[in-house]
Amino acid sequence: MKAISQSIRKKDHDPKIEGRSRYLADYNFTDSGKEILCGKLLRSRYAKAKVLSVKLPELPEGYLYVDRGDIPGDNNVNIVLDDTPVFARETVEYIGEPIGMLVGADEKEVERLLGEIEVEYEELEPVTDLRKADHAFFNYEFGHGDVEKAFAEADKVYEEEFRTGYQEQAYLEVQGMMAEPEEDGKMYVHGSLQCPYYVHGALARALGTGPDGIHIFQDVTGGGFGGKEDYPSILGCQVAVAAHKAQAPVRCVFDRREDMEFTPKRHPSICKYKMAVKDGRVTAVDCDVIFDAGAYSTLSAVVLQRGIIAAPGVYDIPNVHVTGRALKTNTVPCGAYRGFGAPQTFFAVETMMNHIAQDMGEDTIRFKEKHLVKQGDKTSTNGKYHFPVPLPAMLDEVDGLAQLRKKHEEYSKPQTGRCRRGMGLSVYFHGAGFTGSGERDIIKATAKLHKYADGTVEVLASNADIGQGVRTTFPKIVAHELNLPVEKVYYNHPDTARVPDSGPTVASRSLMTVGELLRRAAIKLRDIWVEGEEQEVEEHYKEPDFMIPFYLDRFEGDAYPTYAWGVNAVEVEVDTYTGLAKILGAYASFDVGTPVDYNIVMGQMDGGFLQGLGYASIEKMDYDSKGRIRNNSFTDYLIPTALDVPNLKVTLHVEEYPDGPYGAKGAGELPLVGAAPAYVEAIEQAIGRKLNHAPFNAEDVIAALEEK
Amino acid sequence: MDVITFTLNGKEVVYDGSAADRLLEVLRDTYDMKSVKCGCKEGECGACAVLLDGLLVNSCCVAVGAVDGSKVMTVEGFRETPQFAVLSAAFADLSAVQCGFCIPGMVLAAQAVLSQNPHPTEDEVREGLSGNLCRCTGYNAIINAVLNASKEGEGLW
Amino acid sequence: MVNGYAPKTLQEALEIRAHEKVIPYAGGTDLMVQNPKNAIYLFLNKIDELKEIKDDGEYIRIGAGVTFTQAIASDLVPQLMKEAVSRIAAPAIRNAGTFGGNLGNSSDKADSVLVEFAMDGCVRLVSVNGERVIPVEEFFIKRRENNLRDDELIAEILLPKAKCSMPYYYKKVGGRNALAISRIAFAGTYLVKDGVIEDISAAVIGGAAKFQRFKDIEKMLIGKTVGELKANIDEYVKLYSEKYIFTRGRVSAEYRRTVCMNLTKDFLNTII
Repeated sequence: MKAISQSIRKKDHDPKIEGRSRYLADYNFTDSGKEILCGKLLRSRYAKAKVLSVKLPELPEGYLYVDRGDIPGDNNVNIVLDDTPVFARETVEYIGEPIGMLVGADEKEVERLLGEIEVEYEELEPVTDLRKADHAFFNYEFGHGDVEKAFAEADKVYEEEFRTGYQEQAYLEVQGMMAEPEEDGKMYVHGSLQCPYYVHGALARALGTGPDGIHIFQDVTGGGFGGKEDYPSILGCQVAVAAHKAQAPVRCVFDRREDMEFTPKRHPSICKYKMAVKDGRVTAVDCDVIFDAGAYSTLSAVVLQRGIIAAPGVYDIPNVHVTGRALKTNTVPCGAYRGFGAPQTFFAVETMMNHIAQDMGEDTIRFKEKHLVKQGDKTSTNGKYHFPVPLPAMLDEVDGLAQLRKKHEEYSKPQTGRCRRGMGLSVYFHGAGFTGSGERDIIKATAKLHKYADGTVEVLASNADIGQGVRTTFPKIVAHELNLPVEKVYYNHPDTARVPDSGPTVASRSLMTVGELLRRAAIKLRDIWVEGEEQEVEEHYKEPDFMIPFYLDRFEGDAYPTYAWGVNAVEVEVDTYTGLAKILGAYASFDVGTPVDYNIVMGQMDGGFLQGLGYASIEKMDYDSKGRIRNNSFTDYLIPTALDVPNLKVTLHVEEYPDGPYGAKGAGELPLVGAAPAYVEAIEQAIGRKLNHAPFNAEDVIAALEEK
Repeated sequence: MDVITFTLNGKEVVYDGSAADRLLEVLRDTYDMKSVKCGCKEGECGACAVLLDGLLVNSCCVAVGAVDGSKVMTVEGFRETPQFAVLSAAFADLSAVQCGFCIPGMVLAAQAVLSQNPHPTEDEVREGLSGNLCRCTGYNAIINAVLNASKEGEGLW
Repeated sequence: MVNGYAPKTLQEALEIRAHEKVIPYAGGTDLMVQNPKNAIYLFLNKIDELKEIKDDGEYIRIGAGVTFTQAIASDLVPQLMKEAVSRIAAPAIRNAGTFGGNLGNSSDKADSVLVEFAMDGCVRLVSVNGERVIPVEEFFIKRRENNLRDDELIAEILLPKAKCSMPYYYKKVGGRNALAISRIAFAGTYLVKDGVIEDISAAVIGGAAKFQRFKDIEKMLIGKTVGELKANIDEYVKLYSEKYIFTRGRVSAEYRRTVCMNLTKDFLNTII
């Protein structure tokens, strides 16, 4: 193991375990000693309706109501297309859409008054069936080779449809934001968030202040997993509009049901795949990917892009055609969740490959192995796999952990008896960092190091530690290059008034991209270091030279500089009387490059893997014909407990990436992506049925067994 | 009831609000015990777990009137004990604390397990922590940390 | 503004119950999820006499204030009950949740109540005017509806000792392994002597706002030989199938039906 991989005590360990860390709900007063007003959202009761009138009860002194009429700037939240309003426009587009916010000192009184507001609606016909949705926010198409010709010449053509459901991030700390008007007229907005500068951009637009009129701070954040990528921009604008009108600090912290029902989650999908097979090899893939975007486009463009780029999987298929659409339904807008579109398409392609192999009478593992991409091969977008593809070695590692091949073969034979077993496999990648040229053209990250006269060094960047450890790993990198004890380097939670824009905390980019900027900055600082002087250095992102430029208009070029790789195996035992599946073992080899802290990376791998297993099995959420989500609590949306899994067996395979710090690549999202196809294949083996959707829970098992 | 008197982290306190108030809110708002986290208010996540007369309970599902005459311990009190020091070191060794929101409840759940069973098996630890949801770690590091603590803290429990 | 009652004795509690508008508070684990506005609670958790588990020769008597954790550690509580309550939620809930509360809040998913149905359990209800002991199946009417009078409190659950020592069958089917509400649960006891079924009882949780137990089928089975049951098992399963009512809830009615029939058959097979 490299020195940099040796684990150290996490910098936030003590305050968190001692209960001293201050999360947003823990403020009694603002730091300037002011009382904090409580804001609660007035939400739409209908999936689509005109709001005719809002009749307020008489509000006591100090209580007020804000809606779109109170927005000083522009009623559009800056995300991608800016179509999401701060507060509803003339019509509401989903159940729970915020119409306004009621504000006052006493939370219970605010709740009571909120219940007395009368809203008059004119109901309109909502779209609450993805198959009937016809408005595409985004519609993409790309490919290479000659798909039509390959289908015409094929020995056999396979077609199948795959479906995946919602997944809720279920971070333990719910969403919450607070806004404080400051003496100098600026607005200070802070809370539980991943991307300070996203919130900054949104506030500048909604308040009409320009970038200098606001600053954003990230409080200690109790998990994000993508769920706090775009949403804090929306909630941040709402509390800021309220604080602006009240000229007093306003905080809004959701309750769990509100959070589960009305904040973004993973897009449900329908993927139609068609593959041609000639002489035992897949020669063409044509797939149509549909994501349920919900009522506003928010992040759907970028989620869909990542999803469709991954659609052909890790396989060398000469002819590729992909279409993808993000469709509007009158439901809660979907957004970012660890994996960002890729879990849906990898579920589809992995399961499709299994089904073709089974039909051909081939072992699914061997069938996948013979199609694996190699270094130098073309990617789905005519880019290139520039670096070694370690999948064959990783498959062997997982075989060693799980007895994968032996058990997979054993369980593939027909089984009888009450309890039956299965072993499933998935092979996949996760593109490291932003998709396409976003890093170069949009983010243009800057990071700084500030050295104080006493020799301590502060990292200045905008990446949020949401549990994944950047408050530890960033200083570790800097200390390593400066030959300092890590205690001498620190990284506080970012405040946009003090830190440059090093980009958002997304896309598994923080360590790989910003960590590398910091490494280079540290080298720079080392070279100019003068004892006893205050000094500052700065680094800017530069796209690696080897990259084939990416053109989004035709999905051409290197969508990612490099890839993190994953091989998962899941072994289950299914009780055919109850449908309950017990996970006997979950095994993985992950290649995220060099771990910059072994324990931290293993924590990411374990945690992501279990989220993936939840997505595969018990995490079911759906809306009814009225567009209402019923699974809006921890009672009705089940995530795994400590009793639902055995110890996960994870090993790290290190394929160093020369442009990441010490060889590190993107890490956080990878471990979630492949769990669902591996789990569902294991269930398929156990019950001897062909399956095509996830999550696949006990009820689905029984339904599948009942089908003759 | 005239007042509600209970021992909070070793000190006697007298509460004169409503007996129906949730212990969770009383601990956070009246006594500033901010280690007690609100995750769901329905007894489904364990973030607000505290020790009530040595037993783990979810403070969201306890009315303060029910703790009259009892001993309540939160992490603000538990962090002063040698058992906490061992658990904290074991969690630190495996970097078992990620976002941290479940951790105070998790640590008290670990204390509850070890105080009843100083040498638990992995399954017993999993059972003992099964009411405390963690979304970050996949539980591996936490379970292993508790098992390590039971070895390191030999004789403490 | 303290506004609750925390009596130390049952007698004191009954006096308050008779004269004030109070909500009996046992463990709080269900009640506090809603925590109804302006509730005035009668806290029962400090009454020692409600926390006893006793063997009176005929019944195992479990005090209404006994927690699930306490029951799991007891030598007197029958194994079937221990198994059922050890699968309730998670330790923090089992440390607070009580037998009285589980029965009193009239949930049709209450795991301890299922066992009481299956074991011919009775409940002792007390008030300042006296007491009555009635079968649990008479006490529990349906979801959110029971026979507790406004001046009464649940004092004890009585489990007939004859049933306590019988072989049993138990299976809970939830959405996951902990913190899970029963989607289907099956509890049964039986006694076979010299190849003849001397006793059998079985109850299920499966929606329909109630616990389902069919004594007429049980009566048909009592006195039959194991061989006769074996020969006609599918017919008996069919009898159950015709009687069970399943409703849609967190899972579909079809799922409940299939699983419940599988478990019913498995139970009968266990007897064979």
